[in-house]
Amino acid sequence: MEQVKCYMPQTLQEALEIRNETHATILAGGSDLMVSKSMGAGITPAFSGPVMLIAGVKELKGIRALPDGSVEIGALTTSAEISRSELVHPLLRDAASRMGAIALRNSATIGGNIGNASPKGDMPQPLILLDAMVVLKSIDSERTIKVDDYILGSKKTALSDNEIITKVILPPQNFTHIFFRKIGMRRANAISKLTLSAAAVVKDGIVVDFRASSGAAGPKVARSRAAEEMLIGKTLQELPEVKDAFLDAWNNVISPHAMPEYRRNSTRRMLAYFIDALAAGHPEGRVD
Amino acid sequence: MYNDVRFKLNGKDMIYTGDPLRRLLDVLREDYSLTGSKEGCGEGECGACSIVKDGELVTSCIIPVGAVNGCELLTIEGIRDTEKGKCIIDAYAEGGAVQCGFCIPGMVMATYCLLNKNPNPSEEEIRVGISGNICRCTGYDLIVECIRLAAEKGASIWNK
Repeated sequence: MEQVKCYMPQTLQEALEIRNETHATILAGGSDLMVSKSMGAGITPAFSGPVMLIAGVKELKGIRALPDGSVEIGALTTSAEISRSELVHPLLRDAASRMGAIALRNSATIGGNIGNASPKGDMPQPLILLDAMVVLKSIDSERTIKVDDYILGSKKTALSDNEIITKVILPPQNFTHIFFRKIGMRRANAISKLTLSAAAVVKDGIVVDFRASSGAAGPKVARSRAAEEMLIGKTLQELPEVKDAFLDAWNNVISPHAMPEYRRNSTRRMLAYFIDALAAGHPEGRVD
Repeated sequence: MYNDVRFKLNGKDMIYTGDPLRRLLDVLREDYSLTGSKEGCGEGECGACSIVKDGELVTSCIIPVGAVNGCELLTIEGIRDTEKGKCIIDAYAEGGAVQCGFCIPGMVMATYCLLNKNPNPSEEEIRVGISGNICRCTGYDLIVECIRLAAEKGASIWNK
C-alpha cells in the first residue's frame, strides 16, 4: 500500500499552513475516521490523501465562558469534557454523555462530530436547537456561521479545503423547560436510532419561545422555525388545540429514510409528551 | 521520512519513528510486544484494547500512534505489578471474574480508571464504569462483584 503523507502540527498557525498547502484530511480523535478507513488488524488505515493529526494543537482545547454569556468550546474538546462541564448547556451535556461509552467519549471531539456530519452524529442535534455557531479559520480568514448552515447534508459540510474548525460558540439561553431523548439499542455504547431535543420559555402562562430538533431522522438534523412558531405566543391553555397541527408540521420537517414509520411515530410521541407536560403546568426545569 | 513520535509508555520514554497513521494497538502489540491489549471489534466499541492515556481510558484501536505525541500511556503490562494493579487482579482471581479472559485486560484498565476516580463506587457506577467493555461470555455479574471486592480490599490504596 502506498503510504500517504502525515502531518503532526503542534500549533494552530502550523496547522493552518499545512491545511492551506496540502488540503490534508483533518483527524482529531479518530473515532469516526480511523474506523471508516480501517483495513483490519495489523494494517495501517487507508487514507486516500494526506492526513493531518491535530491532537497536538493545544489552542483548540478547552471550554471558556465569554463576557457576553456565551460559551466557547474548542474544536478538540472531547465529549467527556463537554459532558462534565458546568459551563455547557445541559442539552449538549446530555447528548455528549450518551455518545458511545467512556473510552470513546475520551477520544471523540466536538469538532470531529460536527465535521464528520453523520446523520447519526449526537452533538449537531442539540447544537442546532441552541443556535450554536461554528468558527472556521483559514490562513487568511475567519468566519462564524450557524452549525445549521455548516452541515449541508449527510457527510456534507460548508468547510472549505483550506479551513479548520477552531471552535463552537453556544449563545446564552434562558429556557424554562428542556427535554432530551436518545433512542438506541442499549443504554450505553449505542449509535442513535433517533434523538430529539426540545426546549421552551414559558412566562406568565405564555409560550414565549419553543424549539425542537430531531437527530437521525433525515440526512441532517431537522429543525423548523416555521413549525415552532405555531406554538410561540400561545397560552398553555391553547397548547392542546394547536398541538396536532404542530405535530403534523413537524412530521413534514423530518425525512427518515430507513424505518420511516417508526421514526415518525416515535418523534410524534416524544414531542407530544413534552407539549402535554408544558400544557399541564410542569414545573420549570427538565421534563423527564 | 516520518516525524518522530515521542511518548511515555509504562513509565519509559519512547521514540517511535514509523508511520504515524498506524493504529496505536498495532504498535503496542507488534513493535513493543505488549500483547495484553487485545483486538476485539477494531471499532472502539468493545473495550478489549483499552489503555490509559494521560489518566483517561481510551480504546487504542482507533488512535493513530502519531496522535499520542507527548502523552503518557499505561497498558495492562504497566499496571500489573503495581499495588493498584495487583489489587484488581487478585480481586478478579479471588472472586472468579475471569471466564475466557479475552476482555479481562480491558476490564482491568477500566476498573483501574474507575477506582482511581471513584474509590467507593456503587453497583450502578461500576456498571457504568465498564459499560464500554464487552464480555462475550456475558460474565458481568461476577466482574461487577470483583470490582466491588477490589474497592473494599484496596480501600487504603484507592483512597490515597
